Amino acid sequence: MTPIAHASPLSAVIVVFCVLAVGGYLVAVLDRAASCLIAGRELSSDVLLDPMRSAAWRLSQQTVRTERPDAPIVAIAPAIYLTLAAAGLVIVPMSEGFVGADLPTGVVVWGTIEALIIVAVFFHGWGPNSPFAMVAGFRFIAVGLSYGLISMFILIGASLPAESLSISAIVDSQASLWNVIRQPLGLPLFLLVALGATMRGPFDVIDSRDLAGGSSVESSGVDHLLWSAGRHAALTSFAVIGSALFLGGWHGPLLPGSVWMLLKSVFLLVVLVAASHAAAGVPPRRLITLLWLGALPASFLALAEAGLVAL
Amino acid sequence: MIGAMEVASFEFTSVDVAFVGLAAASIATGYRVFRTDSMIRATFLLLASFLNVGAMMLLLAAPYMGVALMFMMTVEMVVMALFMLMFMMNPAGLNPMNMVHQPRMAAFGGVVGFAALAAVAVLGDYPDRPVDQAEDSIAALGEELLGDSMVIFETAGVTLLAAMVGAVALTSSQGRFGDGLEGSLPPTLRPGSENRPEDDLYDPNEGGMDHGAMDHGAMDHGAMDHGAMDHGAMSEGEMDHGAMDHGASADHDAGEHR
Repeated sequence: MTPIAHASPLSAVIVVFCVLAVGGYLVAVLDRAASCLIAGRELSSDVLLDPMRSAAWRLSQQTVRTERPDAPIVAIAPAIYLTLAAAGLVIVPMSEGFVGADLPTGVVVWGTIEALIIVAVFFHGWGPNSPFAMVAGFRFIAVGLSYGLISMFILIGASLPAESLSISAIVDSQASLWNVIRQPLGLPLFLLVALGATMRGPFDVIDSRDLAGGSSVESSGVDHLLWSAGRHAALTSFAVIGSALFLGGWHGPLLPGSVWMLLKSVFLLVVLVAASHAAAGVPPRRLITLLWLGALPASFLALAEAGLVAL
Repeated sequence: MIGAMEVASFEFTSVDVAFVGLAAASIATGYRVFRTDSMIRATFLLLASFLNVGAMMLLLAAPYMGVALMFMMTVEMVVMALFMLMFMMNPAGLNPMNMVHQPRMAAFGGVVGFAALAAVAVLGDYPDRPVDQAEDSIAALGEELLGDSMVIFETAGVTLLAAMVGAVALTSSQGRFGDGLEGSLPPTLRPGSENRPEDDLYDPNEGGMDHGAMDHGAMDHGAMDHGAMDHGAMSEGEMDHGAMDHGASADHDAGEHR
């Protein structure tokens, strides 16, 4: 095992919070920019300020309670989501030697985080005691398990060249060749899982229009703000992990490692937001078919290919 | 056995404090599983208990086993919650209900089991072989699973995978012969009309009067049928308030006892 250089706990906490806050805000800005571009409107400073305005509006809005909600579950759902997003960032090396917790089982921890996202979303749908929200919660169990399977195979694939489950070791194994070249199917499937787990674009069958807002149909005020923050933060977390697993992490010429990490993560965020606006929505039933007959066999292929290359 | 002198000289490190905290949280959430009145709360309290156990295994220098336990239990509990809600006898499992069958027997069994396991843990004579922290326990575990025992594990793995694929293929509504739902009709709520299999059970010319009241209820509340009536009568206070009420629909009664 390579010697581990941990970041000091305080600096790691500060970095994780900053990345989540800045990344989450960036997602909100990119979302509005993408809407503007698609609608053919001019980009203005509104795009930068609007997330703050709508957050302020949410904060001043009254929080509407439903009849007989499962109150503790309503309260902890956004908290779980935000915590998971933060936990994902703790295990990623942000630059050479700077990692909150260099766990020897990093990718398995990330798989656990993805599984726990299912719990958070199900709680959010279950809590308010409202039919559409509950349907959305059940839907996410169905699609969430599919994402979990796909993700598991590509995470195993990414750890094969490193012969380790540690994310630091996976980053180190990409010093000469990035995983995105070695395993061309890995990154697209990982981005698909990212869009699915954060309920975006074509994979938004959870907080979707056909369910009048789905799991968020009853949430308002601070609750809604926290839930949106959780979704944005989780997307950021996915982008950072994705750049560590497939784009070589902090490796890169000339610039310092942290800058490379920043550039790669922002690039993945832009790709994710663009994909979520560019692709058409899919009805849940067809989505499950696509996931099981398209994406899951593709992830088998990705793993087989990764194994052959690693041999 | 640990001597009194050793106990006195035992130092509490931060790992010990974390271990005791996690153990207490694990027991507390485990206990709450049986004291809550909601299927969902019970399931996810159990998950919380398992997550605490997983974290304890991390402290015991078993990182892979600990995280794998967390991962497996999360997926397992989510699936369990889904299936329990699907197959519960009261509508979607939304009504408050007692989580305990035979409460006295269960409490007795629980206490005896806990005492027996605790006695084994405290009084047992264990070998003293501290794990070297520098040792790569994950590699050792992988060697164990995929070294000499590889054939066994691979056979089990492939068999399970085949079973999973088979189960999905069998339950898929889109089979070789087209959509399984093609031509199917939703059951009607009107007595005496077609597609109402339970009407075959009695002759409308004879028993019409006996079933009149029930049919009325069934028309108003589609979820309640003969089966629901039977369960309500048999459960003897397990559902401490009537699943037989005409208003026993999900939105009406959920959370009444909270």
